[in-house]
Amino acid sequence: MAEEKKRVSRRGFGKTIAQASGLAAAAPMLAASQAADQGATRPVVGPTVVANYGMVDRLRFGGIGLGGRGIHDLKQLLGDERVQFVAIADVKESARENVKSLVDRYYGNNACQMCRDPADLLARKDIDALLIATSDRWHGPMAIWAAQAGKDMYIEKPATMSIMESYALADNVRRYGIVYQSGCQRKNQYAFEFAVGLARSGKLGRLLAVHADTAIGLGTVDEGGHSWWPEEPEPDPRVVDWDKWLGPCLWRPYNSRYPSGGRGQFWDFHAGLLEWASHTVAMAQWAADMEYTEPVEYVPEGGEFRGDGLIQRYTITCRYANGVKLILRNHSWMGMGSCSNRFEGTEGWVETGDSGRIEVSPNLKSLVPTRLGRRYDPTGEHIREFLQCIRSRTAPRANAEVTAHTHVASHAASIAAQLNRKLTWDPAKRMFIGDEEANRMRSRAYREPWRLEALATSM
Amino acid sequence: MQPPAQTQQVPAQSGAATPKPARPPAPKVPPEFDALPIWKMDAPKLVAMVKDPNSTVFQKAIACKRLSIVGGREAVQPMAALLSDPHLACYARFGMEPNPDPSVDEAFRAALPKLKGRLQVGVIHSIGFRKDPKAVSALGKLIYNSDPEVAGAAAASVGMIGGLQAAKVLEAALKSTKAPVFAVVARACLLCAESLMTSHRARALEIYNGLISHSMPEPVRLAALRVLNANGPAPEYTKKWPAPTGAAADADTSGFLGRKPEK
Repeated sequence: MAEEKKRVSRRGFGKTIAQASGLAAAAPMLAASQAADQGATRPVVGPTVVANYGMVDRLRFGGIGLGGRGIHDLKQLLGDERVQFVAIADVKESARENVKSLVDRYYGNNACQMCRDPADLLARKDIDALLIATSDRWHGPMAIWAAQAGKDMYIEKPATMSIMESYALADNVRRYGIVYQSGCQRKNQYAFEFAVGLARSGKLGRLLAVHADTAIGLGTVDEGGHSWWPEEPEPDPRVVDWDKWLGPCLWRPYNSRYPSGGRGQFWDFHAGLLEWASHTVAMAQWAADMEYTEPVEYVPEGGEFRGDGLIQRYTITCRYANGVKLILRNHSWMGMGSCSNRFEGTEGWVETGDSGRIEVSPNLKSLVPTRLGRRYDPTGEHIREFLQCIRSRTAPRANAEVTAHTHVASHAASIAAQLNRKLTWDPAKRMFIGDEEANRMRSRAYREPWRLEALATSM
Repeated sequence: MQPPAQTQQVPAQSGAATPKPARPPAPKVPPEFDALPIWKMDAPKLVAMVKDPNSTVFQKAIACKRLSIVGGREAVQPMAALLSDPHLACYARFGMEPNPDPSVDEAFRAALPKLKGRLQVGVIHSIGFRKDPKAVSALGKLIYNSDPEVAGAAAASVGMIGGLQAAKVLEAALKSTKAPVFAVVARACLLCAESLMTSHRARALEIYNGLISHSMPEPVRLAALRVLNANGPAPEYTKKWPAPTGAAADADTSGFLGRKPEK
C-alpha cells in the first residue's frame, strides 16, 4: 500500500480527488489536463484543483466617478470571477451611461443601476465594496464616507488634497476596519518591486537617498492656480450637477471647461505634485522602510515657474530622522519612463520606471533578471491583491495608513515649494516647527454642507 | 558606520530620456479673474479688499483665500461679515478656520444663531474643526434642530470637539434622535470615545459598550466591537466562566464552552 501511495503523482492525486468527488465536469482546467494527458510527453503543471475550488467570493461592487482611468480599472475588475459590478454613481449623465453600457454588455443583461448621488450607493447594504475614480478633490471625502458606510474600496490617487485630510482618511479606515487599496499599482509591478527589494534587502549597502520623479508640479506651486474661468450658464443638474461636481471645493461660477478636463491647472481641483508623487514617493518610502512616517526636513531648490500654475523644473530635498534623503525632482532621470524611482546606497544604486527596464550599478548587474516574463497590467495585479485582502481582512500594500504617510510627505514638500523655504516637520505632533504659515496650509476647509469627520485637525 | 553626508551623484543620462508628454498651453484667464495680483498683496490690502463694498465676488474670494495663510486678528471680523453670503461664506470659513487667533472662535460662535440652513451647517463644521469646547452646549441644542443637515452637522462637531461634556450630550442624543441624524450621532460617539481613551479610559469603554447594541448602525457596532475585543474579554467573562447563551449555547453541543442545561 505504501508503495502504491508513492507512485501516485501530484496530477494523479488531483485526478483521484476529482473522480471521487464528481468534480471533473465542474473543473474545466482539470479536464483539459486529463485530455492532454492521453498522449502527453511533458508533465502538465498548473494550479492544483482542490475539492472546494468551486467556492469563490461574490463581491458586489459599485462604482463612483468612473471616467478614463476608472474605466481602465473597471475592465480589470470585471475580469475577476469574484466580482459582480451592480451600480454606478456619477454627477455626469454621460459618464453614468458609459459605465452602464460597458457593464451591461459584459454581463449580457440590463442590470447595472445608475444614480447621480454617491450617497445613494453608500446607503445600499447589498454593496460590499467600491471602485472610486473621481477626480482628485473627491478622493479623500468619498473614501472617508465610504469607510463610514462600511464599504471596502479600491480608489484612485492622489488620495487626499491636504495633510489633515490624509490623517482623517487613515483614521477613518482604521476605525471602521475597512480594506483600502489606493491606485498605486506600481506596488504590484515587477521592476519597482525588484528595485524596492534591493534597497530593503541591504544589497545597496547603507541606504543614502531615495529619489522620486514628481514630473511637472501642477496647479499648487504657483499663485496663478487660484484664477477662475468666466461664468457660463449652469447646465441641468441631470447633465452635470455643478454643486456636487464642486463637492467640498470652494465655490466658483460654472464654466464648461472644468468638467470637460480643463481643471488641471487650478489649485482647488488638483493635488499638484501629488499627481506623480503619490506613486513615486510611495515607492521611495517603501524602499527606505519609512512607510509609517514622513521626512522631518524639506528644502525646495530652483523652481522655474511658467506663470500659469505650472512649474518647469524643481528639486525638493527632504530628510528622514535617520538621515536618509528623499529627493523629489522632475529632471535628470535616466530615461526609464514615467514615474521613475532611484535608490542609492553605499554599495550600489538602482533606477527604474514605467518602461519596466532596470538600471543598476555595475556591481549589481548579475542580480537583474534577464528572462522576459509574460506581459501584464500591474493594475490587474493590484486589484487582485485588493480582492484577496478583502477575504482575509488584511492590509494591502497601498493601504490607507501608508498612503496617508506618503501623502503627508508629499503635501509637506509641496507646501515647502509654495512657500519657497526650508520647513521642519514633526511627524508625532503632525505640525511644522516654527512656521505658522506652513501650519495654516495643512488643511483646506470644506465648502458647506460637506464635512470632514475627524479627530485630527490642524488645531 | 555612519553614511557619508553627501549622496552619490546622479549619473548623466544614459540613452535617450523619455520625453515629457507635451501639454497644450492652457488658455489665458481673463484679467478680471486673474488671482496673481491679489495673491501678491500684503495682509492690510487684502483686508481692505474684503471690506470694500465695490470689490467683486472674485476679489473678495481670493483675498479670503490668501488671508487663510497671512491674515491676523484684523482679518477676522471682515471675513466673518461674509459668513451670510451664499457664495463667499465658504471663502470666509476657508480664511478663518486655520487662523489661530481666539477671536475666530468668538466670531463663529456669534454667527451660529444668526444663520440658517447650509450657511449654519458650514459654521458648525468650522467650530468642530477648531475643537471649540465653549460651543458644545449650543451645538448640543442644535442636534435636535428640525433640519437634519443642521442636526447631523452639530452632532459630528460635538464628536470632533470631544471631552466628557460632549460624551454626555451625545449619549443623550443617542437615546432621542432618529434616522438620519441617529447614524451621525453614533459615529460622533465613536469619535468621542476614541479621544477619551487616553485620558478617561473607563468612560471611553463605557461608551463603546453602549455602541455594540444591535440597534446601532452596523459599521459603528463593528468598530466598537473591535475596540472592545482589543481591550480584553467581556467583563462578565472575567468574573466567572458562565455558560454561553443564545446561538453560542445552541451550537455548543459538546458542553465544552459551559454547563449544559439539565434536561
